[in-house]
Amino acid sequence: MTIATLPDTTDARAADSQWAVETHGLTKRFGENVAVNGVELLVPRGCAFGYLGPNGAGKTTLIRVLLGLTHADAGSMSLLGYSVPRHRDLALARVGAIVDEPRFHGHLSGRQNLQLLAAAREPAARDRIEASLDRVGILHRADDRVSKYSMGMRQRLGVAACLIGDPQLLVLDEPMNGLDPAGMQDMRDMILSLVAEGRTVVLSSHLLDEVERTCDAVAIVDRGNVIRQGPISELLAGSSLVLQVDCSDPDRARSLLQTTNIGADIDASEVGLGITLPAGTGRDVVAEINRVLVEGRISVYRLQEVQASLESWFLQVTSRLGAPQ
Amino acid sequence: MTTVSQVSAPLPTPAPSGMGGPRDHRGSFVPTMGMIATRFMELRKRRGLMVALVLVNIGIPVVFLGVRLVLHASAPKSYGPAGGYNIYTGLTAGVLYIFGFIVAATLGCTAGSIDLTEGMFRHLVVTGRSRLALYLARIPAGLAIIVPLVALGFTVVCAVCVFAAPTRINYDGASVPAHLSLSGFETWAGNNPDPVICDLPYDQPITVSVPCPGGGQVVINGPGPSGATVQNVPSSPSDIKAQAIQVAQEDYPGYKMLFLYPSDSLMIETGLWIELEATVGFIVGLGLASLLGQRTVPVILMIVLEIVLTPILSRAHLPHLANLQRAVVGLATAHLAPGGLPVLGGGGGGPGGGHGSPALLPESTTVAVCVILAWLVGWTILGAWRMMNRDA
Repeated sequence: MTIATLPDTTDARAADSQWAVETHGLTKRFGENVAVNGVELLVPRGCAFGYLGPNGAGKTTLIRVLLGLTHADAGSMSLLGYSVPRHRDLALARVGAIVDEPRFHGHLSGRQNLQLLAAAREPAARDRIEASLDRVGILHRADDRVSKYSMGMRQRLGVAACLIGDPQLLVLDEPMNGLDPAGMQDMRDMILSLVAEGRTVVLSSHLLDEVERTCDAVAIVDRGNVIRQGPISELLAGSSLVLQVDCSDPDRARSLLQTTNIGADIDASEVGLGITLPAGTGRDVVAEINRVLVEGRISVYRLQEVQASLESWFLQVTSRLGAPQ
Repeated sequence: MTTVSQVSAPLPTPAPSGMGGPRDHRGSFVPTMGMIATRFMELRKRRGLMVALVLVNIGIPVVFLGVRLVLHASAPKSYGPAGGYNIYTGLTAGVLYIFGFIVAATLGCTAGSIDLTEGMFRHLVVTGRSRLALYLARIPAGLAIIVPLVALGFTVVCAVCVFAAPTRINYDGASVPAHLSLSGFETWAGNNPDPVICDLPYDQPITVSVPCPGGGQVVINGPGPSGATVQNVPSSPSDIKAQAIQVAQEDYPGYKMLFLYPSDSLMIETGLWIELEATVGFIVGLGLASLLGQRTVPVILMIVLEIVLTPILSRAHLPHLANLQRAVVGLATAHLAPGGLPVLGGGGGGPGGGHGSPALLPESTTVAVCVILAWLVGWTILGAWRMMNRDA
């Protein structure tokens, strides 16, 4: 099959697709181990999408299946509207990816490695090498051998390798690995700028804080299953409400609150109370807690609603849904 | 539990990119010139490998011939000329043929496995380029390195063997001028009857007596120098000259088969033959390494094939396995050797030795060509198939 023989309607259909990544029932097995288990994943175009999961959850395997690095055992998928693997070449022409740690030919310079990759892409890719190296900040080291690069520089070179294809979709597997704080900031800014240009970035990372700062939406994967996905704000809105209460007598305050029917988990410490309320708890419950404490002659110095973080939510859902079975 | 419905409405689709367009024939199995050129660069930049290839292919002949040149220049009576026909056959069939195969196989094994072992394979696959094209790009790129390298080493050997060849032929102890016609050979024999009668092999009775060097012998009425009857009876110069001419006429066919240096046609044929062997080594090594996904084991296997299995299978007489023996590519290429070259560790060939060594298992040229083509195509298919189905 050559690209030229494909009808133009393929492009038209692909452009109409609203999803950068779409999978249905995607499954990949390694013997008895099901690494990807009937995954249903929808990644909207033009956003930064986080792909999270504990070690061994199947994140990298799913990415490898999506990119055609390994074959799926069942299910269907498409990238940028192109069915994969049928139109794999068309889809990957618009995709840049780092999978696992970025490794290159160590005896070649960064520029020469990119030349090797650009030659496998369209002719215009070669013209983008300088700009790509400049954008990731390693233009001054472009002629050094990659064997002399630090891990962080290899990460940057990996991103440059993605950019030479001028991709509409970037799949970055742990791109922050090996980067110093300044490098992480640069990478974060670059991802945001790529999204601002209308590209889609799928970011697989263990660094939940980074994902929360960078991504618009996330999917949580555990044991090969996508257990949650959606915009971060909506997912966090469905998480528990945590109140931090600084008061004069935390132990008595806990006893008082336990006699009520507000249904909260309460932890007492020397400085106050940590109260976890079920998702969807209204503000009137917060007022009720304050009233009970004041009427119980406990001085309340501070009552603060703690913003649920992606990390706490991640731990919450993975510990509940990903618990040993 | 998947909550697909929670995904927000998609953001606006980015403007279609002019890059990565669908008209770059990315799915085609034909590699582009750029792919070949960059693959060539990748291999050429492997400094250690290139040094090893140059040392083996060019360094060994250069050092060997250089030492001979120096020795001959410093003590010409003790050390013969650096070049010549015999040196040529020894270096081409004994060194360039075998080491050319090994270095080509090493390069092929490197080209076939290094993307995988160095982690570049997945980068290349993610470009969307046909895996078959990625594989096929390695063939011209590798051959663009190995063919000139082998040619350079061979050129050095040819140059020294031609330009530093001896000026006279040593024919059974007789120092004879080279390239004489029959009449010229007879004339030379008439003018130099003593070495002709004393040294050249001649089975007929000799009817004259001449003083032979190394003992002042006089030969008369004997069956030849080795079995001569020794008598001190003088012969006339005209009888001696006639006897020498008679000996020369008898030995001319043997003399004709001796050369000071290889002919142009022999050098061309030998060059093509060595390049064929190197090409086979490269392509088989490429396919084997791609199949196994590593370099070290395939290199060892290729060396064992070339210097252990092939010589054994080429000469062993195993009646029930004769056809299997004929399927060994080394035997097939040995059968295509130019006439006059000893192959596969000696034991045959030599001047006028015909096609290959007479001790080799018989094989027709057609079968030999088919075996070589089968190896080239078969290993290419195997290597490409593995690359197309391998997890990256």
